[in-house]
Amino acid sequence: MMVKAAVPYLKRHIPGEPTIVSEYMPGGGGTKAVNHIYKNVRPDGLTLGNVGGGLVTNAVLGERGVLYDLDKLIYLGSAHSHYHWVFMTKRESGLTSLEALRSASGVRIGAQAVGHSVYIVGRLFAFLMGLKEPKFVVGYSGPELDLALQNGEVDARINNADTLLKRNREWLTKGVVEVHAIMEVPKGVKHPYFARLPEVEDFAKSERERKVLAMLRTFRQVGSPYIFPPDTPREQVTILQEAMAKTFKDPGFHNEYKKLVGDEPTPLVPEEMEKAIRQLPRDREIVELFKKIAGGGPLPPR
Amino acid sequence: MEVSLFHAALQGLLNLMQLKVFLAMLVGVSIGTFTAVAPQGMGMPLVYAILLPVVIRWEPVTGIALLIGASSVSAICAAYLPVLFGIPGGAGSQATVLDGYPMGKRGEARRALGASFMAGGMGALIGTLTLAVAIPAAKPLIYLMGSPELFVVMLWGLSMVAVLAGRRPIKGLIAAAFGLLLATVGQQAQSGVMRFVFDQPYLLDGIPISIIALALFGIPSALDLALTKLGVEQQAAPLKGSLLDGIKDTVREWWLVVRCSFVGVWIGIVPGLGSQVVDWLAYGHAAQTCKGARETFGKGDVRGVIAPESANDAKDGGDLITTLLLGFPQGVVTALFIVALLAWGFVPGPEMVKKNADLIYSIIWIQGISGIIGTLVGFVLAKQLAKLAEVRYTFMVPIIFIFVLMGAFSANRDPVDLLVVVCFGILGYFMRRFGYPRPAMILGLVLGDLMEKYLYRSMASYGFSWLTRPAVIVLLILATVSFVLTLRGRLKEAR
Repeated sequence: MMVKAAVPYLKRHIPGEPTIVSEYMPGGGGTKAVNHIYKNVRPDGLTLGNVGGGLVTNAVLGERGVLYDLDKLIYLGSAHSHYHWVFMTKRESGLTSLEALRSASGVRIGAQAVGHSVYIVGRLFAFLMGLKEPKFVVGYSGPELDLALQNGEVDARINNADTLLKRNREWLTKGVVEVHAIMEVPKGVKHPYFARLPEVEDFAKSERERKVLAMLRTFRQVGSPYIFPPDTPREQVTILQEAMAKTFKDPGFHNEYKKLVGDEPTPLVPEEMEKAIRQLPRDREIVELFKKIAGGGPLPPR
Repeated sequence: MEVSLFHAALQGLLNLMQLKVFLAMLVGVSIGTFTAVAPQGMGMPLVYAILLPVVIRWEPVTGIALLIGASSVSAICAAYLPVLFGIPGGAGSQATVLDGYPMGKRGEARRALGASFMAGGMGALIGTLTLAVAIPAAKPLIYLMGSPELFVVMLWGLSMVAVLAGRRPIKGLIAAAFGLLLATVGQQAQSGVMRFVFDQPYLLDGIPISIIALALFGIPSALDLALTKLGVEQQAAPLKGSLLDGIKDTVREWWLVVRCSFVGVWIGIVPGLGSQVVDWLAYGHAAQTCKGARETFGKGDVRGVIAPESANDAKDGGDLITTLLLGFPQGVVTALFIVALLAWGFVPGPEMVKKNADLIYSIIWIQGISGIIGTLVGFVLAKQLAKLAEVRYTFMVPIIFIFVLMGAFSANRDPVDLLVVVCFGILGYFMRRFGYPRPAMILGLVLGDLMEKYLYRSMASYGFSWLTRPAVIVLLILATVSFVLTLRGRLKEAR
């Protein structure tokens, strides 16, 4: 839908208004598509890719199947870079305060799958908030998680703040859930509804914990980047970067994006994206800590 | 956000008001009609298999309109082959041969077809109305269904192997186990562990079910059609008589239509029965209850056409009740329909009723409207459709092969899919040849992932205490009784 919203405006802002043909390439959480762009596509500026944030995550974490070099890809920007997460519990569970959460053992936190962003963010919240032996129950879709929380099958879940407001605002107004903390992406950008919540970084105790958090923020901040293969001529890159920037400023694109995706676009320009990827903590210790948090085993000690 | 059922029903209808959705439904009706009339070997499973890779890339409502449009009319027009050629028109219309063909031979083919269309249309309507009523009635139960209950329901669904395996339960189990094994390929969602991936990016997300279904049903069907050369040797009965007489017969026998339609709905709902028996049970019911049936049935009694045709069409509504409310398939076509729903991101069952009620009502509307259109098409184009029944296999076989390969490639434009189609096509051919039921394998493949997910969630949330939940115990008893009864029936048949 993000691509569908952008294509007509991107076409309009490229000199000569060329026809743009979309081809979907599912597989490996986007890895297959990036591999294709990186290895098989001729770098003539005629083929670009749009892939999920897994592009950055999988490469930094050295996941299997990654055949590309993150630093050699050329970035054209992303339509979405703001993403706020909240950690909530069902009020009936009795977990209504941070103290109650920390003193309870085996709080059941629902998520989609090991490695899914909701799972990783949930694990990071649990890690930084100091939950005692939390249990992560995975295998849900987003709406299924809502039902599981309602039925008491799980005690807590992470939700995108905007999605929560769109789908279950009455949970907040009727006090069905208790929202404990927020993770801001990018850091420092307050969510209007949840501005008073503690930010998850407030719970970090060390520099390495803050670095892990920074790593996760960047993974989310890059959104769904538009990319060119390495060695694409500078002239073509400039044309596309300018066209992309104009597209992101086009009010028509904003309307279309909101209509199709349901959110306001929060564009990330190529320079900011490159900067964020460059500044991404990649030292071994942080990567290993992140992997432990993102993995299926017990949470690492602090 | 949850919506009221009235609003959902209205929205479901509004979904159909888009031109492309309506056109897709009409194309589906045309495909279904052609499939019903064309020589044996086509059949709805093959059509679904060919269409799946294409439609799962469309918007869900449009894809559903095409699929449901096709399947809902395939039974209505299924009487051509039995009446004109004396060939069973696929599962569900076999009993029609008993009285339909004698009617055709004595110059009453049009009357038999008229009765069949009318009975089919009325049956489809009754089935659809029952489905529409079942949704609100079942909704309160849905809130009782957590992961443990859903796991048991899936287990119950897996017991369908006993049905899909026909008279070869052991081979059915082997095929289903192979399907379950195939469902484990790819990254396991619960642990993130890669299973049977062999460092191949193609296998990261598992082997696409739609491609496997296409291969398993498409290639063997085409080969069979080529080898059996059906549709060329039978002598057609003359297309004589009056369609209106058949309509009058059906209206006069409205009570028989209602009774047999509910027989059809019941067979659709109850796990373990299905297309193989629906027409025979309805025919048997009519033979037992209709006046003078002992003397006239089997010799060209129009009631022997009305009974199986009304039940066969009503069964589709019953099938969808189980498929949409519980999330497990009642046969190959509903298994493939579930494959499509999963590909669109809908998990049939309580979750879908709660969150996508409008889509479910769209399915109901499509089912009902397609049934009406299919009936009208049958009446208006009776003469032309009769000619379709004579299409030669030499024309059909290459077309099926082309569609199978195009369908596979168009899904992801991945050449590896073509290789997978060829491999599973060969496997499907040998499974068919050696009596290993392919639907059982698809069932294992479809349910494997869901079962694993629900079992994992149950264990992770409740430990073993989920086994003591009252709803779980009730469902386990029901599943066991259903499985034992079905298996016993099948073993009796085998003897």
